Amino acid sequence: MNNDSRQTDGVSVHSGFPNPAADKTLANLDLHQLLVQRPASTFLFRIAGNHWHEIGIFDGDIAVIDRALSPHANDIVAWWNETHGEFELSHFKTVPEGGEVFGVVTATVHQFVRGRAQEGNGATGSASPHQTNTQNHKR
Amino acid sequence: MLKPIFALIDCNNFFVSCERIFRPDLNTKPVVVLSSNDGCVVARSNESKALGIPMGAPAFQFRDTFKRQNITQFSANFELYGNISKRITQILTEVTPRIEVYSVDESFLDLSELPVTDYKAWAQHVRQRIWREVGVPVSIGIASSKTLAKLGTELAKKQPELNGVFNFLGLGKPEWDDALQHTPLKDIWGVGRQLAPKLRAEGLSTALHVAQLSPRHAQQLMGIHGRQLVSELNGTSCHALEKQAVAAKSILRSRTFGEDTNQTYVLEAAIASLAAPAAYRLRNEHLLAHRVGVFANTNRHKPGYRRWVRAAKLDMPTNDTGLIITLLVDKLNEFVSAGQMYHRLGVYLYDFVPVGALQTDLLGYVQPNLADKAAARMAAIDRINQRLGNGTIYYAAADLSKTWQPKHSIRSPRYVSNWSELPVVHVK
Repeated sequence: MNNDSRQTDGVSVHSGFPNPAADKTLANLDLHQLLVQRPASTFLFRIAGNHWHEIGIFDGDIAVIDRALSPHANDIVAWWNETHGEFELSHFKTVPEGGEVFGVVTATVHQFVRGRAQEGNGATGSASPHQTNTQNHKR
Repeated sequence: MLKPIFALIDCNNFFVSCERIFRPDLNTKPVVVLSSNDGCVVARSNESKALGIPMGAPAFQFRDTFKRQNITQFSANFELYGNISKRITQILTEVTPRIEVYSVDESFLDLSELPVTDYKAWAQHVRQRIWREVGVPVSIGIASSKTLAKLGTELAKKQPELNGVFNFLGLGKPEWDDALQHTPLKDIWGVGRQLAPKLRAEGLSTALHVAQLSPRHAQQLMGIHGRQLVSELNGTSCHALEKQAVAAKSILRSRTFGEDTNQTYVLEAAIASLAAPAAYRLRNEHLLAHRVGVFANTNRHKPGYRRWVRAAKLDMPTNDTGLIITLLVDKLNEFVSAGQMYHRLGVYLYDFVPVGALQTDLLGYVQPNLADKAAARMAAIDRINQRLGNGTIYYAAADLSKTWQPKHSIRSPRYVSNWSELPVVHVK
């Protein structure tokens, strides 16, 4: 049990379950803490579409999006495409004028194995850390 | 002693604003949020207000209007609202730890000890920050008493040219009087539907009239509360931030309705607004509650006095606002009936464990971060149902047979609390 979990109050990425038999003084590294710097302003989105597979963003991945950051030209941002009525991913410099930026994508989470939790400890919907490939996009 | 300075941060049309975070297409469109079970309007966008949709409007009576006027309807999504409320509280706590979470969409801050010189600029900064980081518009009132701060937010909402901030500090007498004169009785904090007619009978119709009462006359009219009200309206604080008592064993918040009500939406709204400060206090003391409950009673001075209490035990203790509201609303629906007039409603949390002292469950559930929530809740509900019989607690979305369920079909996705309902971003 570590006190850091308090800082994650309010938001989401989860990464496996601590082993209750483990030494209680052993604090696990918390992926959530790594990926979510500001819980109050961070939202998770699901990515739809495979067009960016070359830069490692795949259909079904989770995008970690922070609204507190000011976008830089090369940042990947989610913005509201009024014409299509949906959120879209773009580099900030290519967002058309008037496109309202929701936030800066700080990371995506790509899971290679999903929905096989029943084989393990009975938990649902979460992958263990070794099944998760995390890509941090540097600002 | 420092002169007290308060700010009230009040979220504009809070439930609607939460829905718009993920639906920017609705930003300038009329929107209403309906209570989850009986389809009354519990929140309206400014556009819906302008179209004459009253608060509490029964959906079945207004369905044609909604359609004709292109008004988008949502069923209340308390998990979303609780989560957004918590985010705003977190940001405000970074501004100052001296905060009183008054309800799900209002918080008082004590600014007396903050090194602020330009309060308007400070308030604009806070407003911008919440808008940018969370996506919710807020109004801020600043004054030397809580009553005036609250009154300030009402004025800020009515006058767009104020940009959402009204500051009583440093106001000259004419402007001050003008502000009070533009405030009807119903916008005064603490003047309920019972008190207003009494004041009107005395020929009083604005906050200025009340402020000009002699303390003695005010006390005759309204008791000690009246004396305090006059003093607060004149800028002398009588109410400090509500203190958080030490290490609570239970937390109880209750509210007496201005008028007895049989409207489920009023009861649900009361739960939402009472549970938020209760859960905040839990988090503040680093506690989790194993049990949560809701109670209601009729007026004990009227014949046929009755009282209802329903509690739920969670196998996974929580301090999560959205989860607590959702559970309590479900509990309320077990006993609420349109044939009863309810006088008072309360929520209580008890059976606490400290965050961190808990390491018993196989899931290693230590902190209710949202990732755990769906799984944890399902597990808890399953176990309660196992123990007490199926249907003791049900998951609203899982129950397709209940008559109110169709209304849930217009509930927005659980964007922030369910992995399978995350908002989608497209790659082109």
